[in-house]
Amino acid sequence: MSSGSAILHTAVLTRRSVRGRLRQPAALTPSFVFPLFFAALGSASFSRIADRPDFAAIAPSFLNYAVAGAIVQGVLFASTSAAGDLATDIEQGFFERLLASPVTRTSILLGRLGSAMVVAVVQVTIFLAIFLAFGARIETGVIGFIGLVVAGALLALAMSGLMSGLAIKSGSPEVVQGAFPMVFALMFLSSAFFPRQYMTGWYQDVATWNPMSHVVEGMQGFMNQPLNVDQFLRAWLIPLGIALAAIAFGLRSLNKRLAAL
Amino acid sequence: MNTATTSATTSTTYFTRPSAVVGALVRRTMLRVRRMPSAFVPSIAMPVFQLIAFSGAFGAAVRFAGIANAMDWYVPLNAIQGASFGAMGVSFGLINDMQTGFFDRLLMAPTRRWSLVVGPIAGSIARAALPILLVILVGFLGGMNVPGGPLAIVMVIVAAAGVSTTASAFALGLTYRMRNMGAATLTQFAIFFTIFLSTSQVPLSSMASWLHAVARINPMTNVLRLARQGLLGDVTWDQTWGGLVALAAMLALSGWFALSGLKSLEK
Repeated sequence: MSSGSAILHTAVLTRRSVRGRLRQPAALTPSFVFPLFFAALGSASFSRIADRPDFAAIAPSFLNYAVAGAIVQGVLFASTSAAGDLATDIEQGFFERLLASPVTRTSILLGRLGSAMVVAVVQVTIFLAIFLAFGARIETGVIGFIGLVVAGALLALAMSGLMSGLAIKSGSPEVVQGAFPMVFALMFLSSAFFPRQYMTGWYQDVATWNPMSHVVEGMQGFMNQPLNVDQFLRAWLIPLGIALAAIAFGLRSLNKRLAAL
Repeated sequence: MNTATTSATTSTTYFTRPSAVVGALVRRTMLRVRRMPSAFVPSIAMPVFQLIAFSGAFGAAVRFAGIANAMDWYVPLNAIQGASFGAMGVSFGLINDMQTGFFDRLLMAPTRRWSLVVGPIAGSIARAALPILLVILVGFLGGMNVPGGPLAIVMVIVAAAGVSTTASAFALGLTYRMRNMGAATLTQFAIFFTIFLSTSQVPLSSMASWLHAVARINPMTNVLRLARQGLLGDVTWDQTWGGLVALAAMLALSGWFALSGLKSLEK
């Protein structure tokens, strides 16, 4: 099958997946509500910390600091839920019906990943619009805005790739949901919600080693610092590297499942 | 002889003792925990993880507010949250019983109706014991201070058990009315927002305007004060009575909500 038809199939399956997600607002709502709630809570709870002179080097306000964490949290929640849909397709037999159709095999996976990226682009844009309305400002302007949207899309690609690989391997939505606490841990053991500079001891060491801290800090750079290359390296290249590994894992899981049929 | 007269004159003959029903329902809850550990383990792991995560991530925020060890602030919060997770179990269990028809058999049982409400709530408290104790244990391992002595731990347990009771009664009331899984989700939302819109993360003095205004009138703030007092200083009546009143009020409201929900279900 030509690469042209593979792209076409991927686009069709991406559209189907996006529609499917929009038809389940209950599944998508938590990935919007909780990050925005936590950002509002954090900026109200920790606003006194933002008054400290040493915080000025980190962000102009705690709301500005919280934006990147909220984006990461929302994107990770939504991507995990997208992979859960893939597992549901496998469990309910839709996956086998797809295999019976003349659709390219890789587009089954790539269609899901594409939809996670589309949802992430919309989600990050909505989040930024809300935060800007509540007084946040992007230090790097339009380039920073685009930087944040692309970073969100790449992060969605990475996380949905990992979770989709797991979904294809297990074929069980429960297994995908069971992996969710790992996502939760990855976020909390990073600087997504609080500056690494204020952490102490082993917790700070773990946060320093956690790649999520660097992704978040790259995104925080777009929000709070003058534009520099480091922001792109951390916010774009780390998720891209994870995404490539995740797609390879997903395709391998897909091939194994196809071989077992 | 009409039904009312029969039940009034021969209740001891025809009715199973409510305490026996409550005991049986508690045993059934614990049996379910043993048979489905995958549903129970997250309710133990999450509060412990959150205790570590909050103390590690937000430790500076409470230290800047003058609290020496973040564990002193976050142990009561996570004990209460761990205890409240049982409410979701109550809701899921009830929905399962409704779907399998077991609940209809319970309704036909010759016992007081209130025992069908108290039983699952008591089961939820029993189920909450492990997460509460584990959070306290991790707190001790993390260097938690206990200037209030053993009474401090009693206060944490009283507050956590009180919240567990309230949350479970609320979950029952909602599930009797909705009769689907949405009740468990709504219960989770209600508990989450009630806990986090209080002094869950930092003291009132550290909060900004809107959160300060909400947390000040949120009864959970009083409950958390009751639970935390012995870890931050001495246990005093001044720090206790507000929490007890808040718990009593929440218990009365959620208890009424559960009982009236059961009545509406029977209709």
